[in-house]
Parts: sequence; C-alpha cells; structure tokens
Amino acid sequence: MEKPVTGTRKVFMTGNETVAWAALAAEADIMFGYPITPQNEIMHYWTRLGAKYERGFLQTEDEISAGFTVCGAIIAGKKAFTATAGPGNTLMQEPFSMAEAMRLPTVAIIQQRGGPSSGTVIYSQQEVTLTTYGGNGEGHRIVYSTASHQEIYDYTIKAFNTAWKYRFPTFVLGDGYQAKMREPLEIYDPAEKNIEMIKPSPMVGLPGQIGIEREPQHLCNIYSMEEELYDVVLQMQAEYERIIPELVEYECRECDDAEILVISHGVVSRSTDDAVMALRSQGIKAGAFRPITLRPFPTQKLREILRSGVKKMLVAESAYGQLVRLLQQEVYGETVPIETLLMPGVGIIDADIISKVKSLVE
Amino acid sequence: MTQPAMPKTWYVPSKPHKFCPGCGHPLILKALGEAVDELGIQNQTVYGCDIGCSLLSWNFFAIDSTQTHHGRTTPVMVGMKRARPELICVGYMGDGGGYSIGSQHLVNSAIRNEKITLILANNTNYAMTGGQLAPTTLPGQKTETTPFGRDPQLTGNPTMGPEMISTITGDGAYVARGTVAKYRQLKGFIKKALQNQMEGNGFSFVEALSTCPTNWRTNAKQTWDWLEDKMGSFYPVGELKSPFRKED
Amino acid sequence: MYGVSRCRIAKLLGIVCPGGVIILHTGTRIVEAYIGEYASGKSELAINRALELRQTSDEVTLVDLDFVEPFYTLRGLRDFLRQQGLTVIAWGREDSFGLGETGSLVNPPARWVMWRSGHIIIDVGYGVHGAASLNLVEGALESPELKVWAVINTGRPMTSSVKDLVDYVKGLQRVDGLINNSHLGDLTTVDFVIKGLQVVEKAGEILNLPVIYTAIEKTLAPKLLAAGLNPSQIKAITRYMPGAMW
Repeated sequence: MEKPVTGTRKVFMTGNETVAWAALAAEADIMFGYPITPQNEIMHYWTRLGAKYERGFLQTEDEISAGFTVCGAIIAGKKAFTATAGPGNTLMQEPFSMAEAMRLPTVAIIQQRGGPSSGTVIYSQQEVTLTTYGGNGEGHRIVYSTASHQEIYDYTIKAFNTAWKYRFPTFVLGDGYQAKMREPLEIYDPAEKNIEMIKPSPMVGLPGQIGIEREPQHLCNIYSMEEELYDVVLQMQAEYERIIPELVEYECRECDDAEILVISHGVVSRSTDDAVMALRSQGIKAGAFRPITLRPFPTQKLREILRSGVKKMLVAESAYGQLVRLLQQEVYGETVPIETLLMPGVGIIDADIISKVKSLVE
Repeated sequence: MTQPAMPKTWYVPSKPHKFCPGCGHPLILKALGEAVDELGIQNQTVYGCDIGCSLLSWNFFAIDSTQTHHGRTTPVMVGMKRARPELICVGYMGDGGGYSIGSQHLVNSAIRNEKITLILANNTNYAMTGGQLAPTTLPGQKTETTPFGRDPQLTGNPTMGPEMISTITGDGAYVARGTVAKYRQLKGFIKKALQNQMEGNGFSFVEALSTCPTNWRTNAKQTWDWLEDKMGSFYPVGELKSPFRKED
Repeated sequence: MYGVSRCRIAKLLGIVCPGGVIILHTGTRIVEAYIGEYASGKSELAINRALELRQTSDEVTLVDLDFVEPFYTLRGLRDFLRQQGLTVIAWGREDSFGLGETGSLVNPPARWVMWRSGHIIIDVGYGVHGAASLNLVEGALESPELKVWAVINTGRPMTSSVKDLVDYVKGLQRVDGLINNSHLGDLTTVDFVIKGLQVVEKAGEILNLPVIYTAIEKTLAPKLLAAGLNPSQIKAITRYMPGAMW
C-alpha cells in the first residue's frame, strides 16, 4: 500500500485539507464525523483520499455518535479521529468525558466558530473553555492551539502520537479562519523527520483463549464507592502532572526585557507577533507570549517571564475572557496586572493590539 | 397584471425570500401558510425551524417563530405544547434535522403521540452546508461525503421516515408523505396535519418530497425528473395513517 | 493582452464539433466559466479576467456560483468590484453567512445571466459534481459561446501529478481548456510555475485540451518572461481574494 505522503514537499492548501492530509500521514485508520461549518472540508477530503488509501469513514447521525464511534474504534484498537465546531463541540463533550475516564486516545480537531449556540459559522476563540475543561471531568486533556497551516500539519500528526503515548483525549484547536485560509506549507512523511508513529493497540478483541491464555477485559467508567472514584481521579492527575514537562509548548518573542507582555494563542498570535515588532520599532518594550499547549498550560515559563520585569500583561483573544480565566488560574499569586483586549467572535489584527498597548503605556 | 397571491400569514418584510430558484421549501411553506390562513389559526400558532435551509424560514411567517438547534426543533415544540396546550405548535425541518441528528426526538415524540405537527422537507442532501450525505440520499447518489455515490452496503438504505413513524406512533396520529410536484395534495395533507392537532388527536407528521437544484446541480427539467421519477418511485406519496375518514 | 487573448480564443472557437462542422466565431462576446479544485484559484482568475475585460467593454458581468465553500468567495469583494464597474451577481456577506449557515445559496439573477448583454464570467465553486454546476445557469451548457476553463494549481496534492490531474479533469466533465495557476502563495518561485506548466501541458496532451495561459502574480511576471515563456502565454494577475475575507 502506497503511502499518502512520501518524502517532503511544498504544497498550497486550506487548513481543513491540511488536517485530512496530516491524519493520512499519521496513519489514522478511520474518521467519524457530522457536517458542521467550518470543518466540512476535512470530511470532503478524507472521503476522497481515504478511499485511495483504504481508510474508513462514516458520517454518523450526529456529533454525539461521532464522538462515541471514535471511542469504540479506539477501544477496538484502531486510530480514530473526528472534527467538529461550535454546537457540535458542545455535543461531543459527552463522549470526550468517557474518553477522559477510560483513558482513550481520541484525537479531535476543533474549528472554532462564534458562540454561544449557533453563533456564527465563521470564527472565534470561544471554545477554549469547552475544549480544555469541557464535560463533567477535571480537564485531563491535551490541547494544542495552532496558528499556521504548517502547525496544523505538524500538530495533527503529533496529536496522534501524544494521544496514543499518554492516553489522554488530545485536541487540535483551530478556528474557522485557519480552516479556510490558504497557505503554503511542507507536507511530509513523518519518517522523513524521524517521527515514529505509535502503533495502536486494542483494549478488546485481544488474541488468546479467555480463561486460559488471557483474562476477559472488563472496561468501565463508573464506580460503586466515592473512594474508588477519588483514587482514580487522583491517579489520573498524578500521571497528568508527571508528563507536563514533556508536553508543554509555547513561543516567546522579545520576552526577555519586555515591560508589557501580550498574551494570545492560535491565529491571534500572528497579529501579536506583528504588533510586537512594530511596537519595538517605536521604542515600546513589548513582548509576545504564546501558549501552544493550552492544556497543559505553560505555567512555569509564564511565571518566570512575569517575574523578570514585566509591568503589565495584555491578554488578547477573540472571546470574552476564556484565555484570561485559563491563565488567571495558572498564574495566581503573580502581581502583574492583567489588561484585556476581548473581541468575541471577531478577528484581531495587529493594529488593534498596537493601539491597545499604546493606550496602556501612556 | 395581478400579483401572485401570497398567504396572508407570509411576513411581507422578509420577502423576497432567499431560497434558491427552484427550491421546494417556498412551495411547502406556501402550502403551510395557506393552510394556517384557511384554518384561521395565525395567532395561536407557533412555528419552529431547524438549522440548514429550513433556517431561512425563521422570519418567514407573520406567526410567532423560533429558530432552535440542529435536530432539536421537535423537543422544543414538545416543550412548548406541554407548557401551553392551546398553542398550535408546528416544527419545520429538513431530512437531516429530522431523520439524522433529530431522529431520537422524532421517534420518541411519535411514540409518546405528542400533539404537535411536524413538517419535514426531504431533498436527499444536507443542502445548506454544501451538499453532504443525508439519510434520504438515494443509492448511487453523489454527495460531498459520498463522492463515489451512496453505497447502501456502507451507509444503509435511505430512511423511510413516514413508514417508520406510522408504525410506532399511537392512535389519533396523522402521518403522510406529499410532494411539491403535487401541490394541492401536499397542502391537503398539511391542513389535515394541523387539524389533527387542533382536535387534539395525536402526533401529526408530513414529509414533503422537495427539490434542491442547487446541490443536485440540475437544470429545471432535470430537477423535476429527479423529483418525480427518481424520488417519486422510491418514496411513495400518500397518507399512511389518519384518524380522519377517507372523505374528509 | 486583450487583443492577444481574443486571437487565441478566436482560434479555439474554430473547433471542429461532432458532425464535422466548423463553428466560426461571429460575435464578440466572451462567456467563460472558471472551474477547478477547491482553492485552485478560480475566483481570483475570474475576478482578474472580469476586470481585464472591463477595460475594453462597458458591460461585464461576474457571477458567483459557489455553493459549497461558505466564505472564501468573491462575495466579500462584491462592493469593491461593483465600484470598479463590474455587474456582480452575488449575495453580500451579510446576506449569505450564518443565517443560512453558510451561503450555499443561488442569487436568483445568476440563473438568467446568459440573457444579459456583454461579457459573462462565471466563478464556479468546487464540488463533487464538477461542471454540472453550470446546469443552474439557464442556457449556459447549451450555449456555443461558453468556454469552461479548468484552473489547475499543481501545488495542490490532488492535482500535482499528470495522472492525478488527468483523472481529476475527467471527473469535472465539461472542460474546454486548462489554465496553469501553479503557485505556492508567498513561497512561489518561477521554477515552480514552470514545472507546473509542464505537468499541465502533458495532461492537456492526454486530455486533448489546450493550455490557455499561465497565471502568475504580477510581481513575478517579469521573471517568467525572463525565463523564456512566450508573453502571450502569460497572464499577470493581481491578488484580490485575500481582501475578500477579513
């Protein structure tokens, strides 16, 4: 069977297509999905390409089913993924909770759109809370927030390895703009970059005669006593904390001597980078901090930066405080005041950040 | 030159409507509007619509209306009816909102014989999101998520909604399938579906075979051929269950 | 540029049709439909062509026939394009987003564009039905004036090899010519464009379709000339679409 991506080459694609190609390159076996704007092209491309490379697909009756069918395929031992947005993300919290509880390596790509409810079909960063801490669990999830098509490719491949290695539901958090924008990027066979794709393994349907060669597998996500649950959750937390240093990713630009630190994630960080460059050229000591992993949040690094002379931080997001709350819990105790540039559902350009920073430094 | 007659319950400020040329929705909604006019129930009717092309009807009528979530029009109308039984609750949805994401609500409302009226437009695809597979897509039909044609081995056979509903719903329910190709008959079915609710008999459901030349990529003639020949021979038109005597 | 294009089109229209009759170009009207893969550059080329024709004609109509992609369409540029003197048949962004979930809506005048006078440029969105989208424009596919150009970007993996490209174009059904729009956005090199042209030309030979021209962003056009391409084979384009979204 021919590999879908061989070697490396430069291509021109939209974000959604990039997801489909990355999932192919990551050896994903099957996708389950349901139509919702703005992620439909992930399905459109997966169905066209998947047939060629013997990958499976089912358009389920809704997103709840898409999430649970992914869980089922994973329990059976195949790499499964899904993609959704907005109200679909809300519905998928039930299956994602089951994945958290049962340590299933689900991979989901979220293309944020305006919320709440049907909101807009276009763009937002309003699914941060939902994706990082949704469902009725403790947020034992891994969330990558991408800002370019190259990253969509890189992190979708990484998401499969992260999920299957650590067994926490893993998310690639994009948005409608990234989904639809067109950019060049380099697609590659992971082997070309010495990335070894972890092979999936089943939790049921194992080889061997039950009772003789092996025990039957009894999987559950419910417990009889409070103490049992307590132990399970604490153990999950301990494992999660142990791997934080291996997982955490972030980007800093001009942070070393920054007096005003602009914090943003995803596609907004592109505007932040441009804004910081412009501000610096005007003599303003601005710096940009970008968490790439929203879960686990790069707390340690951010605290270090805040203690090294930052006078103010400005959080810029296309939501009303979801990133603010996320970092507030992480940097509690730091004394740097938090300013905000909150534009729910609306794109933020460098001019927006520049004028806000200037108003704060005067 | 006389203007074509619009139902009185059509909301004039939202006209001309945005449905595509050749779309079946305006025909179904015209039948509904005329039925509401003739029954004189404009003030006590509440209209709910789904996501998808039915969404374009949210401000279509001069009737109290609400948009809901995809597939959740049915439970919203059930909630309304349970709270205010004197309201005539009409839910409008597409084949996806009814038979896919909304199927559990449709099935359970039918089993409970909820005294609401649901009208479902069947155009064999998820039109608004760009033409993906729907429960009623025909075998072999190409859609954006069945680019090589719908394979019943992989995705099952098309959903026969009224057939399923008529077997699970209770006495007093009204279930029919009409087509925009036979407007008067469709309007008759819709009117009975409303009357059934007015009389408090039981669950009322009308599927309407409808056209989508935009996603079918068909010209006028091809559109009607698809509706009348292909869909018409797959989905039988008529009343499947009715508490009314034949001559009503 | 326009004069040269007209000569090429006149030659192309002298095509032998089944039955052996040679159709001669008698009118002066251009009717072109731009089809192709998702994000191949159809809208960009349709806009550039419409603006080009506007320089020498008072009546140019640009039609949005995109029913799958909700917002990376020429709709975002509608008002700007109207200010340039084009008749643009498209919903506005405020009409077609969100309420309506995407914008998979035909603007009713699009149905009857063939009845208008002047040049007609149609931007046909991607989709599994290929050129069948033109069924929605009354009289388009039957018109002897219509030319359907498939826009190809070999920078897109599904149309980057000759074999894949041939299969893809066959799937579109009605196609009259290929346009080489091979590029990698900001990373485009002249070398890439030329390599793309070679792929498109080979595919064109197999499909028995002419390559109409190579489109290239205008700042790179002189380099393409320097590389030896015939000027009549090059169309320098301005990128308008990035302004279409936000």
